[in-house]
Amino acid sequence: MTSIPTGPEPSPAPPATPSTGPFDPPGVTWQGVSPRLVQARLISATATTAVPVVAGVVLALVLSPWFWLLAGVPAALLLWAVLLVPRQVRAIGYAERDDDLLIRKGILFRSLVVVPYGRMQFVDVEAGPLDRKLGIAKVQLHTASANTDADIPGLVPDEAERLRDRLSARGEARLAGL
Amino acid sequence: MSTEETAGPAAGAGLRWRRVHPVTPFVRGWAVIVAVLVIGSQQVLDDVAGALEAAGEIGSFWWIVVLAIVLFVGIVFGYAALAWRMTAYAVDDDAAHLRKGVLFRQQRHARLDRLQAVDVRQPLLARLFGLAELRLEVAGGADSAVAIGFLKEAEAQRLRADLLARAAGIRAGKTSPARPSTADAHGAPVPAAEPVAGVDLPVAPPGGDTAAAPGAPGPAAETSSVGGPAGEPEDAPAAGEDVAPPEAPERPVYEVPPSRLLLSLLRLPGLWVAVLFLVGLGVVVAMTGSFGVLVSAAPAVLGVGGYLFQRFAGEFGFRAALSPDGIRLRHGLLETRAQTIPPGRVQAVSLTQGPWWRGPDWWRVRVTVAGYGGAEGSTDESQNVLLPVGPRSEALTALWLVLPDLEVPGGPDETLALLDEALTGDARTDRWFVTSPRRARLLDPLSWRRNGYAVTGRALFARGGRWVRHLEVVPHERTQSLGLDQGPWQRRRGLASVALHTTPGPVSPAVHHLDADEAARLLGEQSVRARAARAHAGPERWMEARQ
Repeated sequence: MTSIPTGPEPSPAPPATPSTGPFDPPGVTWQGVSPRLVQARLISATATTAVPVVAGVVLALVLSPWFWLLAGVPAALLLWAVLLVPRQVRAIGYAERDDDLLIRKGILFRSLVVVPYGRMQFVDVEAGPLDRKLGIAKVQLHTASANTDADIPGLVPDEAERLRDRLSARGEARLAGL
Repeated sequence: MSTEETAGPAAGAGLRWRRVHPVTPFVRGWAVIVAVLVIGSQQVLDDVAGALEAAGEIGSFWWIVVLAIVLFVGIVFGYAALAWRMTAYAVDDDAAHLRKGVLFRQQRHARLDRLQAVDVRQPLLARLFGLAELRLEVAGGADSAVAIGFLKEAEAQRLRADLLARAAGIRAGKTSPARPSTADAHGAPVPAAEPVAGVDLPVAPPGGDTAAAPGAPGPAAETSSVGGPAGEPEDAPAAGEDVAPPEAPERPVYEVPPSRLLLSLLRLPGLWVAVLFLVGLGVVVAMTGSFGVLVSAAPAVLGVGGYLFQRFAGEFGFRAALSPDGIRLRHGLLETRAQTIPPGRVQAVSLTQGPWWRGPDWWRVRVTVAGYGGAEGSTDESQNVLLPVGPRSEALTALWLVLPDLEVPGGPDETLALLDEALTGDARTDRWFVTSPRRARLLDPLSWRRNGYAVTGRALFARGGRWVRHLEVVPHERTQSLGLDQGPWQRRRGLASVALHTTPGPVSPAVHHLDADEAARLLGEQSVRARAARAHAGPERWMEARQ
């Protein structure tokens, strides 16, 4: 695989990217996610692109050089992912404020979601087989709105559990109707 | 009345289970029965000679055929009877209970303080039988409604009134002597319970046909006397039943005459595209003489025709009224629906006007109610309509039904000014709205002047669209979460978009291409405002605090 920084535990992240105005509300300290998420994402990207690449190479050697295209496009995509994913993962951040949770994502297309604790309907903690192997989990927050896109991938299980319990407790304390 | 009998004394702790009307399985399953009949008759008709021959052959075994038919009918009736026996409902102070199913049994409890809306639905066949289905909408995904039905119409009305009274927090007596007092209790607090707040009713616009109607929501029109006795006879067709329903009194607010509905549909571009398409098709057919083209075009024409008919039939005879139980809507040509949306259940409102409605200044008002669902283009779109088509004054009245007081600093005149700006204004004349800066022109050349937001004490107004003007209004306490988005082009120009997330529905409020710092400020301030409004929001049981 590629040389991915297999950092130990999630560092109390420094501001991921040079902080630009609107996505950095004053008085908020951002938490980063585990760098092992890079590994997880790259492994699954490799798995999905491997099949067409291998097929393309075999066909190109056997049948016609045109099939190099079939191998080349996914390979280029994979290379792009290798360059991009570490930055993407570093850009993910979350912050617990007194009354709401902030989640920040993206480099090119940036987004920031504010979820009030009282609006949370339930909290999911998910971890696939690869995630479990790497020791990360995803926490997803659900409100009554389907548009709320609030998930925090790449959390260490302990942190995921802590966050889940904390969110549920705070949600209960501030529970409101719809 | 068979619907009154209790289904076993020991069925549930102290609950009085009731049965639905015995015809229910047939009203629900008529499609299946008709399909079986149609397929059967088609099989016979397709091959009359063969069938006759077979009939001659089996002439000696006629009793087998008769037996088969009897058996089939017996099974159908037996299953229907079983299904009917298994279906029962009960209501107590905290919840509505429904159990049904023969093989797969299902029990459903809907908490009344989570009740989002109550609909009385009457499909065509049920109308012929004089039956109605009661749907209790709770917020919980696509199929979460509790459908109690079918009941006799008067029974459904009574049950709805009972449910709403309980959901409102009024402890209703279970016997009929208590009911008149329920009606009183229900009627009396009208002025108080409605946050009508006397003077601050600037939205009810002067003029227009609504103001002419008695009991129109004129400012401070009637604070002490609520027009009419309880249980407006108009609302209960064939109401001449034994018990006067403890229906909350209601005031008619507006109705949409069929002529206007028809005209509004005639102005839709879809119709004219379809007509042009048909004319072109006719020319092609005339020139080539082949009719095969017609067949291939049939689905598209049928689609447009179906959509237009669905809108006409669904929104036919639209009437809106206001009662202490909330907004009452009635509509439908073939299948009728009487909706009740209690106070505080509307999550967001949208007002739209395409260029085709600009001449008469008509608007369409839709609402998002948790539990109705009804995203854009879904089949049940008429459920989410608050006003199918109406002049600006009526559209504002519809908005007033949801938000009686917008709490605009400066009083009624300022409110009207704000609303005018919200509907038709743009950046050149704005006083209230914060709009996209000029550098958004490249990203949104058409509507950059319209994009914008304004905030009042009660709600956030998000405005947009130049050809299809639209305005979304979200009460502060109904925001679920907030989002801030920025793409690469927006970043280069220092812009960002803010989205307000609400429950699934036709309204998706967002303010596009704001100045980035302005957007961040809106995000921060709106989350504070939403929190404050939630803390002071009314109780889920809307009468409780007033008692």
